Amino acid sequence: MTGTDSRPQVDPALVRAAQRGDPIALGDLMDLLAPYVGRICGPIARQDGPDATQETLIVVLRNIGQLRDHAALFGWVRAIAVREAVRVAARAKRLSGDPLEEVAGGADQQLATDVGDVLARLSPEHRAVLVLRDLEGVDETTAGAVLAVPPGTVRSRLHRARQSFRKVWES
Amino acid sequence: MSQDRPVAELDPIRRLRVLARTLPGALHHAEIVLPVPPERVWAVASDLENQLPLLLSTVRSFTVTRAEGDRLRARAVGTLGQRADFEVVLRPGWCLMSSRFVVGAMAATPEGDGTRFGSLGGFRVPGARLLRPVLDALGDRAVRRFAEHPDLRA
Repeated sequence: MTGTDSRPQVDPALVRAAQRGDPIALGDLMDLLAPYVGRICGPIARQDGPDATQETLIVVLRNIGQLRDHAALFGWVRAIAVREAVRVAARAKRLSGDPLEEVAGGADQQLATDVGDVLARLSPEHRAVLVLRDLEGVDETTAGAVLAVPPGTVRSRLHRARQSFRKVWES
Repeated sequence: MSQDRPVAELDPIRRLRVLARTLPGALHHAEIVLPVPPERVWAVASDLENQLPLLLSTVRSFTVTRAEGDRLRARAVGTLGQRADFEVVLRPGWCLMSSRFVVGAMAATPEGDGTRFGSLGGFRVPGARLLRPVLDALGDRAVRRFAEHPDLRA
């Protein structure tokens, strides 16, 4: 399933009511967006996914008044979710050294029996690239803009992340 | 990757925290951990017609006038006779209530052998910050009264 498939229909009237600060509309919008945000924050922030989802929705609902083009809602939410997920995961200080090197070598590879294990060994930044490119299906330029890195960096991170997956599958 | 894609859940207590930090107006937000399971907590909390007048000294009655799925309409009458119509969303572990001037919400999530219960209440009117001391006193008293309910003791 791609990110586009998982997007619910959002009534523009609901967004307008939320922008006026209507509490019921803000609650309904939160309910609609939470699963989508959870699917982005989960793979990137892992055990801190619920915190990242909470922080994302705080930023989204606080700033919903600034959204002019309602068609851009999910792209806007996705960018906030990726940034918050990386920030929350990094804040939790679970990022140490170069996790890709850990995946690339060592006997621990044998233990990586599923995708979840491999994902857990990548840094939040590499997981963010995988989520944006492989799950959300965005292009390198958009992924670079979300992560504030050049498209070349997106390409190299993606290459290394995919290579890590391949090595684990083939080990 | 997509088959094993972990999805982060936003439980009701986290939903309440999001609203506490985003709803406009002045809000009182509190959380307590009760030594009983969520079903018992929610059996008390969701009985709005009987519990709200007990918890909030400013409410004389709270009457549900219409119910459709998890959407309710209710009329509150204050101790001075003032009336307010509320839109309510009520489902297990979650309740959000809003009138023209007032907003309220409750949430419950399992925690250990007990339940984390959260409440949120406030005014939607401009300048509501001035009412902050009143709001905090009302909110604290309501949570204290809720925790003292005989059905919520271990």
